[in-house]
Amino acid sequence: MSENRPRLLDPHFVSKLARLDLTARLVVEGFLTGLHRSPYHGFSVEFAEHRQYMPGDPLRHLDWKVLAKSDRKYIKQYEEETNLRAMILVDTSASMGYGSHGITKLDYSRQLAAALAYLMLRQNDAVGMFAFAAGQGEQIPPRSTMGHVRPLLLLLERLTPGGTTNFAASLHSLAERMTRRGLVVILSDLLDEPDRIEQAIHHFRHRKHEVLVFHVLDPQEVSFNFEREAVYVDMESGERVTTRPQELRPDYRARVGEWRDRIRQYCIEKNAGYVPLTTDQPYDRALLEYLSKRARLL
Amino acid sequence: MPVFSFLNPAFLWALPAAAIPIVIHLLSRRRLPEVSFPTTQFLRDLEPQEIRRLRLREILLLILRTLAILLLVLAFARPSLTPHNTVAHSAAAVAILIDDSESMAALEEQARPRIEIAKERAAAILEAARPGDEISIATSTRPDANGAGHTTDRVRLKRALERVEATSLPAKMAAAILEARRALQRSRLQARELYVISDLQRANFAPEVRAEIAAAAGAGVRIYLVPLVQGRLPNHAFQDVDPQLRPGPEGRGLELRARLANHADAPSDRVAIRVRRGDALIGGGDITLRSDEVRWVSMPLDWRGAPDAAGSAGPVILESDQDALPADDRWYAALGAPRSLRVLRIAEARDGTPPPRFAALALDPGGDGTGGFTAETGTPASLLSLSRSRTDVVLLEDVASLSADAEAKLRTFLRDGGGLVVALGPHSDPDYYSAHLFQGLIDLALEGTEQAAEGAPFELKARIPGHDVLEGITVGVGSTLTQSRLTALIRGRVTSPRTEIVVQTTGGLPVVATAPGVGVFLSSFSDDWGDLPYSGAFVPLVRGLVSHAARASKTSSTGSLKVGEPPVARLLAAPGAAVLVRGPEGYASQAAIESEGTAYRGVADTPALRPGFYVFESGGKTLATVAVNVDPIESDLAPIQTDSLLMAPRGMGPAAAATAATAAPGPAPAGRIAVLSSANALATHLQDTRRGRELWVTFLLAAAIALALELAVGSARTLRT
Repeated sequence: MSENRPRLLDPHFVSKLARLDLTARLVVEGFLTGLHRSPYHGFSVEFAEHRQYMPGDPLRHLDWKVLAKSDRKYIKQYEEETNLRAMILVDTSASMGYGSHGITKLDYSRQLAAALAYLMLRQNDAVGMFAFAAGQGEQIPPRSTMGHVRPLLLLLERLTPGGTTNFAASLHSLAERMTRRGLVVILSDLLDEPDRIEQAIHHFRHRKHEVLVFHVLDPQEVSFNFEREAVYVDMESGERVTTRPQELRPDYRARVGEWRDRIRQYCIEKNAGYVPLTTDQPYDRALLEYLSKRARLL
Repeated sequence: MPVFSFLNPAFLWALPAAAIPIVIHLLSRRRLPEVSFPTTQFLRDLEPQEIRRLRLREILLLILRTLAILLLVLAFARPSLTPHNTVAHSAAAVAILIDDSESMAALEEQARPRIEIAKERAAAILEAARPGDEISIATSTRPDANGAGHTTDRVRLKRALERVEATSLPAKMAAAILEARRALQRSRLQARELYVISDLQRANFAPEVRAEIAAAAGAGVRIYLVPLVQGRLPNHAFQDVDPQLRPGPEGRGLELRARLANHADAPSDRVAIRVRRGDALIGGGDITLRSDEVRWVSMPLDWRGAPDAAGSAGPVILESDQDALPADDRWYAALGAPRSLRVLRIAEARDGTPPPRFAALALDPGGDGTGGFTAETGTPASLLSLSRSRTDVVLLEDVASLSADAEAKLRTFLRDGGGLVVALGPHSDPDYYSAHLFQGLIDLALEGTEQAAEGAPFELKARIPGHDVLEGITVGVGSTLTQSRLTALIRGRVTSPRTEIVVQTTGGLPVVATAPGVGVFLSSFSDDWGDLPYSGAFVPLVRGLVSHAARASKTSSTGSLKVGEPPVARLLAAPGAAVLVRGPEGYASQAAIESEGTAYRGVADTPALRPGFYVFESGGKTLATVAVNVDPIESDLAPIQTDSLLMAPRGMGPAAAATAATAAPGPAPAGRIAVLSSANALATHLQDTRRGRELWVTFLLAAAIALALELAVGSARTLRT
C-alpha cells in the first residue's frame, strides 16, 4: 500500500468513527477517490448525460445523431442498471470477537460488510445480508435501492459475537433459500472443520452462485507472537491449553499456513474467490477484490 | 565399605534450598495468565509431539537446577569418603622411622639438609594424629635407642623429633624396621602404621631390608615409604687412604695414596685434595673422575718427622672440595711409618732351574727397596721360619702345595696381620689350594687347568675398575687390561660375595680374586702360560696384589675403622694400666686389651659416633692413635627405585624370614606398602586416612557441570525460537 493511502481505508481509523453509515460511505468514497478513471461508471439503458468522446471510448456508445448534426463526437452516458444480486454473509461466532490490537474480527468484518454494501448499492446492485452463528442467522433479503442501506447497517450494528461457527448448518440453509443466482460474499474466520467449509462453498457453487470468501483473521492468529507461557482458552469451546508460545511458534505458523492454503486451494478449484485478510490490513484490498469479482460476473 | 561423612555438616541445613527451583516452577505454573484465543485447535494438534517434548525438557531443567543447588550445598558441607582400608575411624599405633644416617646431612635445594625435610614430614604426621593415636619416633642409625616410645604425649614426641639430627653413622635399616615392627606389635591397638622417612639410598636398601619391609607388611603393619629425594645428587667422596706411606717416584720423598669415588651420572669437576698435618699443609693433588669411577690418587708429601714409639707416623687429615655431602669430603688417616713393604717370595726350583724372577723384579727391580717393596726369595721350607716382624706379605709363586707345618706357620703369620698373594701356575695343585690353604682365607674353589683354544688366548678385562689391585692401571669397566694374552689358567669359582673377582677373561673366567688380606692370581707370574710378564700391566698388577694383601691385613687396618664401630688399635706392648680411649666431642671410653699373636689389641667399649682421631692412652702415655671415618656406603646418594620396595624380594633375609614366620598372619603384603613421594602426597594421604578423602572439589565440579548442562539445554530452547 502506498503511504498516501487515504486514512479512511485504515481499519483503526475507521473503527473510531461511530456511525456505520457515515464510515461506510467514507470508506467507499475514499476508495473510489483513490482509483483512476473508473471503469465501473455504469453503462445501462437509461440515458444520463453526454460527455465528450475521448480516444479509447467504445464506439458503440458514440452518439451518432449528434455526430451527424454537429460533427462533434459525444458519448452517451447511462445510469447503470444491473441484475447482480449479492448476499453478504457475516460470521458472528464467538471467535469473531477476538481482537489483539483494538479491533475485533467482527468489527473489521462489520465495517467491511458495510463498505461493500454501500459500494454495491451505489452501483445499483441488490444487496442482502446474512449474519450467522451456531446454526442460526438473521437475514435481510437483497434490494438495490440506496434506502436499503439503512436496514443493512442497522443489522450490522446489532451484531455481537457469540456461539460457535457452524458453517454447514447456517450456510446450507441459506443456499437452499437463495433461488436466484448471485454473488455470495462470506466474511468469516472460517474456524470450523475445513470439510464443512468446503461443503458449504460447494453448495453455493453447485447452485451457480459466485462465491467470494474474505478470510478474516487477527494478526496474532497468524503470527502467534505471544511471549509468555499462558493458559490459552478457546473462545468458542472453552478448551484450555497451557503452552509456551516461543516453543510452538514455528510449528503453529506452519499449521495455520497449511490450513489457509487448503482453503485457498479449494476455492481455486471451485472457482471461488479467496481473500485472506488480517484485521490490520486496509479495506481497499477487499474492495478491489470485490470489484474484480463483479467485473468478471458482468 | 567406604564411609561417607561431612566435615561441615552445619551446611546441610541449606539442603532445602535445593527445593527452590521446584517451588519457583510450581508458583510460576499456578500464576499462569489466561489468554482468550479464537481457537486452540492448532495448539492442541501440536500438543502430542511438541508439548510433551517441552515438558520433558522442563523436567530436565528442573532436575538440573535442583541437582546443581544440591551439589553446591553438599560441596560446602565438605563431603568426605574414608576408604575401608584406612585407620580413619580407629586409633592407630604409628611408628615414625626417621633415617638419620650420614647421607641425611646432604644438602638439597636452598642448602637445606635432608634431615630438616625429614623432620618436616614427621611433624606433619604428628600434626595429623588424632586423640588416641600412639606414636613412636625412632631413628635408623640406632634402632635400639627408641627416641620416644609409643605414646600419646604430643609434647614429648615433638621434643624427641627436635632432637633428631643427621649423624655420621650408616643406616641400619633392616634392624630399625624390625625393631619398629616389634614395637608396633606390642601395641594393644590393632591399626598399625610404619612411616619410613628416608632418602632411600640404594646402598641402604639391600635385599634383607626389603625382606624386613615385606615381613612387616605381612604382619599386618601398613608401611608408608616417604622418600625425600627423587634424583641422585652428584657427590665425590674419600673411600680410603693407604696408611702406609711409600717412597716417592724414583725413591725421592714420600707419597700418600687416597682412593676417591665419583658417585654421579656425569664426570666430576677437578677435585682438589689437601693433606694437613695439624695446622700445616703438607701435600695435595687433584683428580678428575669419570661417572661412577673409583680411583686411587697419589700425592707427594712434604714429610718431616720420625715414627712414634708405636710405629705410627702420625695423624693427617685429607680434605677435598666440598659438595653435596660435606662429611665424606674429609678423611682422617693415622699413617704408619714410611717404609717399604717386605715381601717373602716362595718359589720352587725345578729340574735344577731356578724359578723365574719376573715378580721379584716387578717388586724390587734394584734390589734396594727404593721402589717401595723389598723382595726376598725363598722356598716353601722358608715358611717354617716366617716371622711377622720381618715380613709383611708372602707371595706363593707356582707352589705345588705346602707342608702342614709350613701352612700352619703361614696361617699364624696371617693371623698376626700378614698378607698373602698366591700366583698359581702349571705346577700348582688346585685340590690342595681349594681343600686346604684357601679355607678360611678366601672363598675360591679351583677346578683344574683351563687351556685356551688354539689361536684364541685368554684376554684380560677389568671387572672392578678402581679396585686397589688395579690402582696402577687406568682402565674402565670391561676394558682390556693389557695387550698380552694368557694361554692357560686354573679354572676357579667364587663361592661367597666376600671374595671379589677383580680381573676376568673375556669369557668370564676369574683371573684375579681377592679377599681381605689375600690376593690370588689364577694364572702364572712366569711366561709359562702367556706373555703377561713382558707387558706393561705386569708390574702394577703384581704391586697392586701385594699392596692389597698388605693394606687389608690387620697391621694396617687402622685406616678402615668406621663410625658406629668401637675403635680398635694394635698395641705392640701390654699396657701397664687401664687403657682409656679419647675421641672427638668429648668421647671417652675404657678399652679392653686382647692378646693377638705376638702383640695386643685394644678395643674400646663404646662405639665411635663421630669421625676423627681416637687416642689410646694408659697412664698418661699415648699408646696408639687410630682414625675413624664415615662409612663410604653413605656417599652414593642415588635413591632406590621405590617400585622395587613394593614387593618382597625373592630371597628373604634370615632375620626377616624368622620374624615373618612368627608374625601374626595377615593379608598379603600387596597393597600394604605405599610410597608417599612428596609433601603433597603425604598431606593427601594423612587427610585421606585421618579425616577421609575430601570430595568437595568433585561436588563443586559436578554442580558446575549441572549448571553448564542447564545452560546448554536452556540455550538450545532459545536457539530454536
